[in-house]
Amino acid sequence: MMPLYRQVILIVGKDVRIEARGRQTIGLVVVLGILIMVVLGMGLGAGKPISGFSATAILWVAYIFGGVLCFEKTMAVERHDDALAGLLVAPIDRGAIFIAKLITNLVLIAGLALVVTPVAILLFRFDISGHALGFSIIIALGMTGFAAVGTLFAAAVSSTRLQGGLLALLVFPLSLPIIIVSTQMMRSLFEGAGSMNVLGLGTLAAFDVIFLIMSWLVFELVLEP
Amino acid sequence: MTSGKKILAVTFWIVTLTLFAWTIWLLRDDITPVERTMGPIQKVFYFHLPVAINTFIAAMVVFIASIGYLWQRKMWWDDLASAAAKIAALYCSVVLLTGMIWGKEAWGQWWTWSPRLTFSLVLWLLYVVYLMIRPAIESPQRRALVSSVYGIAAFLDVPVVYLSVKLMPDIHPRSIELAPAMKVTLLWWFVSVSLLMWGLLITRYRINRRVRDLNYPVGDETRTESSGRVARAAGGAS
Repeated sequence: MMPLYRQVILIVGKDVRIEARGRQTIGLVVVLGILIMVVLGMGLGAGKPISGFSATAILWVAYIFGGVLCFEKTMAVERHDDALAGLLVAPIDRGAIFIAKLITNLVLIAGLALVVTPVAILLFRFDISGHALGFSIIIALGMTGFAAVGTLFAAAVSSTRLQGGLLALLVFPLSLPIIIVSTQMMRSLFEGAGSMNVLGLGTLAAFDVIFLIMSWLVFELVLEP
Repeated sequence: MTSGKKILAVTFWIVTLTLFAWTIWLLRDDITPVERTMGPIQKVFYFHLPVAINTFIAAMVVFIASIGYLWQRKMWWDDLASAAAKIAALYCSVVLLTGMIWGKEAWGQWWTWSPRLTFSLVLWLLYVVYLMIRPAIESPQRRALVSSVYGIAAFLDVPVVYLSVKLMPDIHPRSIELAPAMKVTLLWWFVSVSLLMWGLLITRYRINRRVRDLNYPVGDETRTESSGRVARAAGGAS
């Protein structure tokens, strides 16, 4: 059997190649993200400068809705023509499938964030220039945990009738701590002294560790052709 | 139910309900003194705290039963987990409602985004979602699998939620000094609320078992492929 990292690279390569050729998911989620921000921006009163606190909330709404679509699509790829059955009979560690799907999902939401965040900065004129690093760390930590939960449950519900709605229902309440922590940390970052909160970073890291390990352990149980 | 079990069940409910009547009687001002700063509304607390603790116990039962299902793939674990999730959601609703009644009196608002209120709300959402996803999945095996994975994730989420709400500004009372008589009342309330929780949990579990026996009379206890297909076909037909 080939080493784990080779297996992961192969599956990620396959998924990213499919996405690069079709560009179905990324186009969809980016437009959805921009739409969400336009709707919220109009709702909050167009033209008014928006505080870092609200801007984070708006960004997270765009990220989580787009993210759920990404998770669903990365698993849906395997549903076509029973590709998952082929993947399962291949001499590949199930853990490698999880890591590969997680990385693909992270690539997709990173792509989403790379487009949506500048649009938010442009539309809402909120200033992250002083805290770009802190902002990126918080978002990256939050997204890792979010993607871990999302990857696991996308695999769990992918064979059920109501995939999309069900996935959002499962992932949103579990991800609430990420939203709470990152909005609170952004508030202290933008409105406070600009220092990073250790408790907040620790909580985000704890969430990531707990759900990465749990998802990795449980993932092979939920994979069924 | 055999007659022995029936007598046991009837005795249990008579004891529990009598105990409840007794604990309500204990709340009289001459037995349990009125708290000085908060006044009579503080008496909600004797109900609020035991129910909150029992919410955690029910959530822990969901967690253990979910692990049990993933480990052994016996359907009774799933019946236990879903029964406990129902009780957790019910008890958490009571925690939220009593907390809001207290909040209205103490702070003049039904709702504030204080850490503990937010914590209870997230907990409530976690277990309500558990109950909502179950009917949406047709195959009993798949439903049990997704629910058990979610049951484990939800319980692991609880400490993280607890940590995360600590970042929010707080107005909740941190600790309350209780007079000895108040402690006794609290203890009795804890006993009766816990008995009620276990009674409801076991009753719900028995109902779940019966419903499953009615719907899938044979061959769904083990997770063999053939029995899975039989159950799936039966689920699709009903």
